[in-house]
Amino acid sequence: MRLASMRALLLVAVLALPAGAASARQHDPEKLPITRIRDLHYGDALFYFYQNEDFAALTRLLAYEHWGRVPHHAEEAQLLEGGLYLALGMHNEAGERFERLLTDDVPTGVRNRAWFYLAQVWYARGYLERADAALRKVNGRMSPELEAQKELLFGNVLMHEGRYDEAIRLLASWRGPQIWSAYARFNLGVALVRNGRLNDADPFLSAVGTMLAANAELEALKDRANLALGFAYLQANQPARARAPLARVRLNGPYSNKALLGIGWADAALGDYQGALTPWMELRSRDVLDAAVQESYLAVPYAFGKLNANAQSAEYYESAVKSFDAENGQLDQAIARIEKGDLLERVLGTDLGARYGWFWQLKSLPDAPESRYLYAVLAGHDFQEGLKNYRDLVYLNGTLERWGDSMGAFQDMIETRERAYAERLPRADALLASGVVEKLQQRNVTLANELRTIETQRDMAALGTTAEREQWARVQRVEAALAAAPDTPEYADLRVRLALIKGVLQFRLHDAFNARLWQEHRGLKDLSLALHEAQSRWIRVERDRKSVPTNTGEFAARVTELKQRIDTLQARLGGTEQKQSVFLARLAAHQLEEQKDRLAAYEVQARFALASMYDRAASADTPKGSAGGNQAAPAEETPAPPEQAPAPPEQVPAPPEVAPVPKAAEPPR
Amino acid sequence: MLHMTRARSPTDDALRRGALLAALLASVLLAALAPPALGAPPAGPNATTPAAAAGTAAPPGETPAATPADADSPLATTPAAPESSPDTRGLDQEIQDLKKDVVDLNKDLFILEEELLFPANTQVAVFLSVDVGSFFALDSVQLKLDRKEVINYLYTPREVEALLKGGVQRLYLGNLKVGAHELVAFFNGKGPNERAYKRGASLRFEKGVGAKYLELKIDDRQRKLQPEFEIKDWE
Repeated sequence: MRLASMRALLLVAVLALPAGAASARQHDPEKLPITRIRDLHYGDALFYFYQNEDFAALTRLLAYEHWGRVPHHAEEAQLLEGGLYLALGMHNEAGERFERLLTDDVPTGVRNRAWFYLAQVWYARGYLERADAALRKVNGRMSPELEAQKELLFGNVLMHEGRYDEAIRLLASWRGPQIWSAYARFNLGVALVRNGRLNDADPFLSAVGTMLAANAELEALKDRANLALGFAYLQANQPARARAPLARVRLNGPYSNKALLGIGWADAALGDYQGALTPWMELRSRDVLDAAVQESYLAVPYAFGKLNANAQSAEYYESAVKSFDAENGQLDQAIARIEKGDLLERVLGTDLGARYGWFWQLKSLPDAPESRYLYAVLAGHDFQEGLKNYRDLVYLNGTLERWGDSMGAFQDMIETRERAYAERLPRADALLASGVVEKLQQRNVTLANELRTIETQRDMAALGTTAEREQWARVQRVEAALAAAPDTPEYADLRVRLALIKGVLQFRLHDAFNARLWQEHRGLKDLSLALHEAQSRWIRVERDRKSVPTNTGEFAARVTELKQRIDTLQARLGGTEQKQSVFLARLAAHQLEEQKDRLAAYEVQARFALASMYDRAASADTPKGSAGGNQAAPAEETPAPPEQAPAPPEQVPAPPEVAPVPKAAEPPR
Repeated sequence: MLHMTRARSPTDDALRRGALLAALLASVLLAALAPPALGAPPAGPNATTPAAAAGTAAPPGETPAATPADADSPLATTPAAPESSPDTRGLDQEIQDLKKDVVDLNKDLFILEEELLFPANTQVAVFLSVDVGSFFALDSVQLKLDRKEVINYLYTPREVEALLKGGVQRLYLGNLKVGAHELVAFFNGKGPNERAYKRGASLRFEKGVGAKYLELKIDDRQRKLQPEFEIKDWE
C-alpha cells in the first residue's frame, strides 16, 4: 500500500497529466501544467508507464526521443525518464537528470517533489549526504502533507548523521497532519534520548506510548515508544521508572519479547527476583531464535540462583546449554545451505510474480528449514536492497537473452534480403539500363505536340474514329479524282453527291471535335500523371539500387555490434549477479554467524555459571568434611548464591549484581 | 577457571553495565527509527513481508556490540544509520552502471528491430486513445486494413485503466505500400446501461513515402450521452 502510493506520488511529480481524464481534474500546483497529448508516441510510453511497465516505458521513451517523435513533450519526457530511472533503482542517473532538468522553468512544486522523492530513495539506499543535499534543494514549503513528510525525513537523515541538536530543533517545530504527528513526536523523543536528554524525551515518548492507536501500525509505534522509553530508563539506572512503559507494551506484539526481558531486568534491578521470574519464564516459553528469548534462558536460572533455588537454577542452566547446542546445530545447517549458493534462487522462486524496480518487496519465503532464520536475515536493510538489485539483474539478463534469440532472426532476415536483392538485381539493372521511362516521356511530348497542332489547325478528322478517318480519306481521294474529271452532267451529279457526303462527314466531325479534343487532353493529362508516378518509382528504384547494399550492410554491422554488446553485457550481468549473490549469501551467513556467536557466548555463560555453582557447592561441602561427595547436583538449600552473573570469560564480564546481558543486542522483531 | 573470577572494581562494573545497556538501547532506538524513514508509516496490517511484518526495514549494523568506547560514553553509541558500507556502495554503483548500459542497449535493440522490420518509408502505426470513457467500456478492437484483418486485440483491465489515465496505445505497427488504403476498426465493449456495444469506424487514407500515423479515438459525446468513435489521420 505504502509503496504503491509512493510510486503514484513519485510519478505525478514528474509527469504532465495527459489530456483524457485530465481535463476533468483540477490542476495541482505540484504537478506540471495540464497538457494534451500532442505526440502519439509520448502517449504510448505513458501507456506502459501507467501499467507499471517501467522498463518498457523507459525503452520506448528513449527510442522515440532518438527518432525525434516526441518534439512537443521533450521536457516532460526527460523528467519522466528521470522518474523511471529512479523507479528502476538507478538513483544516480535519476539524480544527474534531475540536477540538469529541474531548472527554474519547471514549476517549483514539481521540482520540490522530485527532490523530495529522490531524497527518499537516497536515504533508503544509505546515501545520507545526497539525501541531505536533495532535501536542501526543496525550495519553500510544499503541501502540508508533503512538507510534514519531508521534515520527518530530514529529521531522520540528521539523526543518522548524528546531528541530534539539529534534528531536535527541526522536529520540535514540526507541524503537520495528525497521521504523522505520532511519528514526529516519537522521532523527537528518540532524538532527545540520543542527545542525553531523557527527562525531556519522556513526555514525547509517553504521549506516543499512551495514545489511542487506531490501527495496527500505530499500535506497533506505540509499543516501540514504550520500549524505547523503558530501555532508556533502564540504561539510566532508573528501573522503577522503566517498568511502567515496558508494561504498556502488548504481550502479543512484535516487541513483546524485548519488553518482557526489560521488565525482568527492571524487577531484578529492584531486587525483586521473584517478580522478574514471571516475565522471564513467559519469555522462555517462546521461540528460542529470538535474542531476548535466548537471554531469558540465562536470566531464569540467574534469578533462581538469586532466590537460593540452586537446584532449579542448575537445571535451567543445563537445559539452556542443551537448547543452545540444538539451536547451534540448526544454525550450522542453515549456514551450510546458504553457502551452497542457491539461496537467492529459492527465495526468488517463491515470488514468481515478482517485478523489477525499486518498489518491489518480497512477498513470501521458501518452504525450507532455514526459512525460520531467513525472516530475520531478510528483514535486514542491506539484504532487502541487495535482493532488489539481484532481482533486477536477473530480469535484465532474461531480457537480453530474449534479444539474443531475436538477433539470430534478424541476421536471417538480413541474409534473406541480401539473397532476394541478388536475384532481383539483374532485372532491376536491365530495366534501369533500358531507359524506358525516358522514352515514354519523349512519346508523351510528341503526342502533346501533335494534339496542339490538331487543335491549332482544327484538324477535326484527326480526332475522328477509324471509320470516319477512312471515310474522310476516301472523300478526299474521290474529290481529287473528280477535280480532274470533265465537266459532264454525270460528273456534276457525282460532285453534288460527294459534296453532300463531305458535308455530312464534316458536320459529324465538327460536332464531335470539341468533346474529342477534351478527351484527348484528359488522356494526355492522365498519361502525364502516370509517367510522373513511373518517374518517381524509377527514382526510388535507382536510389534503392544504390542504397540497398549499404542498407543491408549497415544493418548487418549493427546486428553484429549489438550481438557483441549483448554478449559482453550478459557476461558482466552474470559476473555481477554472482558477486551480488555471494555478497547476499555472505550477509545472510554473517547474520547467522552472529547469532551463533551470541549463542556461543550464552552457552559459555551458562556453562561457567554451572561450573561456579558446582565449585561453590564443593567448597561449601569441604568444611563439613564431605569432599568428593555429591558435587554434581547442588542441593536446594545450598547457601550463597553466585556472586556474579554468568558471563563468558574475558568477554562480557558482567558485574555481580547485573542480570546476564546479551553480547550483542538485537532490535526488537 | 580461577582467572575468570577475578575481582572487579565497582566503577568498572558500573561502566560495563552502562555499556551493555547502551548497546541494547541503541538497538531499540534504531529499530524504532525505521518506519518514518521512508516518510511513510510501515506496512499496514495486511503486510506479509518479513520486513514489513517485523515492522522495520532494519538498517544495517543493527547489532553494535558493546565496546570500550561505549563504556566510556554509553549514550555516544553511534547510531547505525542506513549508510551503506563502502563495499556495498561499490557494488551498488557497479550495478547501477550495468543497469544503465543494459537500458541503453535495450533502446538500441528496440530501434534496430523497428527500423529493420518497419522501415520509415513503409511504416504505418495505428494508435488508440480513450477520453473519459463514461459511456463506453472497451473490451476489444478489431482492425482491418484494405479488408484484411490485421489485429484483433482483447484488453486487460490494467490496459483499459492505463488508457483511461491518458495512455495512448500503439495498437498496430505494420508496413504499407505507397497509395490509397482503407482502415476499418470495430470497437466492442459495454455501452450506456451496461449493454453490449459494437461500433465501427473507417477511414480512406493516402500512404505517402514517410511513416503514416493513424489514431483511433474513443470520445464521450456528452449531448447524446453516447460514445463516439473516429479515426484521425496524423499528417
